[in-house]
Amino acid sequence: MTLRQSLALVWRTLRSMRTALVLLLLLGVAAVAGSLVPQVGTSNARILAMFRDHPLRADIYDKLGLFDVFGSWWFTLIYSLLLISLAACLFPRTRALVRNIRSRPQPSRELDAMRHYAARPVPAEPERAIADARRVLRRRFFRVAQSNGGGPPALAADKGLAREGGSLLFHWSFFLILVGMVWGKGTGFTGQAVIVEGQTWTEAAANYDGRIDEGRFVDESDHSGVGIHVEDFTATYRIPSGIPEDFVTHAELYDANGAFLRTVDIRVNHPAEIDGVKVYQFGYGWAPVVDAREDGVPIASGPVVCTQGPPPQGVSPLQLPWNCVVKLPTLTPQVGIRFELWPDSRSLYALLRTGTAMPMLTQFSPVMTYTAYRGDLRSELVQNATVLDTMGMRRWKQGVIGAGQTKELGAGLTISFPDLRQYTVLQVKRDRGLWIMLLAALLILIGLLPALYSSRRKLWVTAEPDGRGSVLKVGGFALQRRSQFEEEFAKLVDELTGTPRDRVGVL
Amino acid sequence: MSTEQWSRLSTDAFNVALFAYIAGMIGYFYYLAFRGQLAWRAARVAAFLGLSANALSVVSRGVAAGRVPWGNMYEYSSLLALLVVTGYLFVVEGVFKVRVLGGFVLAFSVLTMAIAVMFLYVGPGPLVPALNSYWIKIHVVAAITGSSLFALGSIVTILYLAKDRRERRTAAMTPIAGGSVDLEDAPPHFESGADEPVGEATRWGILPSAAVLDRVAYRTIAFAFPIWTFAVIAGAIWAEQAWGRYWGWDPKETWSFITWVVFAGYLHARATSGWRGRRAAVIALVGFASLLVTYYAVNLWIVGLHSYAR
Ligand code: HEM
Repeated sequence: MTLRQSLALVWRTLRSMRTALVLLLLLGVAAVAGSLVPQVGTSNARILAMFRDHPLRADIYDKLGLFDVFGSWWFTLIYSLLLISLAACLFPRTRALVRNIRSRPQPSRELDAMRHYAARPVPAEPERAIADARRVLRRRFFRVAQSNGGGPPALAADKGLAREGGSLLFHWSFFLILVGMVWGKGTGFTGQAVIVEGQTWTEAAANYDGRIDEGRFVDESDHSGVGIHVEDFTATYRIPSGIPEDFVTHAELYDANGAFLRTVDIRVNHPAEIDGVKVYQFGYGWAPVVDAREDGVPIASGPVVCTQGPPPQGVSPLQLPWNCVVKLPTLTPQVGIRFELWPDSRSLYALLRTGTAMPMLTQFSPVMTYTAYRGDLRSELVQNATVLDTMGMRRWKQGVIGAGQTKELGAGLTISFPDLRQYTVLQVKRDRGLWIMLLAALLILIGLLPALYSSRRKLWVTAEPDGRGSVLKVGGFALQRRSQFEEEFAKLVDELTGTPRDRVGVL
Repeated sequence: MSTEQWSRLSTDAFNVALFAYIAGMIGYFYYLAFRGQLAWRAARVAAFLGLSANALSVVSRGVAAGRVPWGNMYEYSSLLALLVVTGYLFVVEGVFKVRVLGGFVLAFSVLTMAIAVMFLYVGPGPLVPALNSYWIKIHVVAAITGSSLFALGSIVTILYLAKDRRERRTAAMTPIAGGSVDLEDAPPHFESGADEPVGEATRWGILPSAAVLDRVAYRTIAFAFPIWTFAVIAGAIWAEQAWGRYWGWDPKETWSFITWVVFAGYLHARATSGWRGRRAAVIALVGFASLLVTYYAVNLWIVGLHSYAR
């Protein structure tokens, strides 16, 4: 086989309906794998558990890309081939459709050879009968061409080009989806902002909590610099069931120059939008205000963000305490304090009394247990503010501190707990491809309807003189929904040969 | 009436609907087996009674909860049964005049409702915040409508496969068989009742011809496909509002995508030579299986953002 022949073969294979079908089904199979194997991003904990419990299997899965099916090379390959095959199908189909639209319905004289055929006498003479027929067909959305060659007058008509047009629109729109996805991801970013009540957060790459997901065309200067000042966060639960009812962040928005724009309530399903950046309510947590003083001189003061680990099986996160860390590197020896916060102290008492903590739905005389360590914080190694590495430290003091209290730790160090605040976690995101996706979705739906529900019909009409009137001959066939056409054709013939409405009075 | 009373009314109506559907199912199967006109009438009355009770149950559930009645799996199931039976009684029986599929359709609804009361029941209550959105209402209505039509189409597809097999056997035994069958060119409507096609064993003879079944199945699935497409799009719009991403390959999203791809495969197969008929039908059934996974398995066993919708 020459190169040319092989290329022709590849092209022909790509263009075939069978290839498209097989690729579609393959895409489905690949997606099944992606739903059965835990995926990076949605089930990280389960992946880690698998690496721990079945290292060999996990390793094989990892090599095959099964933990990230939708980003794997073979998933990409399948949909790329599908899109190439799609383009290969669409180019010739589009060209054919354009040609078809430009050309007029072709005449035919062999009407009685058609699948559907009828001949009936009509009172009008041929020219007139054809003109009437033309009007009827137009009203029924047929394209009509009159042949002016020799012989009796004749019409050629067809309808249903919308079917192919819709199908092409539908199929082409998948490329628009690809464009919207690539453009949106490439020029967009998404990350999380952690903001304590009373604080202001500025949208810039450095201010995100943890990793920020940036597209490859985004750089530092591309961030908006808008500000979000959180006045207050409220979580509402039904009492006593603990079913969440509402999460809302009351915030003030500022533009990049610090000018006040407006206040917003950001809640689940109701994101706020500033300057092309969308802000979603994502989560929340507690942030106790902790003051540390050495000999009465403040050395650290402010809200501390507390977090929760994953709850054990059968335990609601609402029953778990919150953990946070305060580091005091200026002291010698250095001091690190671990806090365990109970926003509702009744929950802690319930735990001590009955062994089961109560769900904490609101703040109620909060308490913290604390453990202080002395030694070396190893700050050069442990930079994460929420992690206390006690490797180089010894346990020093333990105790309980309630809201509004102050505790003496010794060596002149006191800590106090003047206030408990909440922080909100906002998902901050920019996606400039959204409107393209929306447009594509719209076109897909618009294209799909005629593609599935309209059908091609071809029809020819001639009129031959017969006495004072003429004989109208009608022939035609349908390319889809043929069984339905039987009835349609009969009705059309009735209408074509029946009495035209405007002449009822005369006859 | 108080919330409790509405809630009780909903539960009672649900039970009435379930038993009426069971009675209707038995009647329709009796009609399928012995062709008694009386059995058909009785079955139809039972089905309509069930339908009314089902509708009453859905509405009173909505009143009791003070919101749209499709907030959890129990409510989805009830609504799904309602739409499948409505579609059957008004479209399949009303428009296509096919009477013999009632038993299968009601069996599906009975199963759905039975699973709902046994495993999925929750009391009426407000929606969790993420579910409280305009788009999810649209999304769920479209998803349930699409699912019920897919379910109807799939039931007809199963009957098509059975009937087709039967016809092939008979054709193999009859010497005059031959020629290819153009599926679109089957005889026009099969009017159920008195004039069955002759020469078949009675129990099979009462089913419409394979060609008609195939066409009804295709029409139903082709009707369901854009609705399902719309449901997936509405779901993506909702996800964009709720979580800030329109598509995240969450298990529910993944499975609705699989369902969509497989049914697109079915529509393609119908236009691919060598795949029409039985092979296409098998693809439709794979799509149906995938729909069931989307509907039940994902909610009950696979973890994901949607799982709180149980
Ligand atoms: C992105 C993947 C694809 C999807 C989701 C898809 C979906 C569909 C759907 C739903 C239909 C039915 C609507 C209609 O009858 O016009 C259809 C029809 C069709 N598709 Fe695709 N398709 C895809 C890819 C392709 C490819 C790669 C080809 C080229 C081989 C192709 C060729 C066709 C043709 C020729 C029809 C018309 C069939 C008919 O006349 O009934 N499609 N497609």
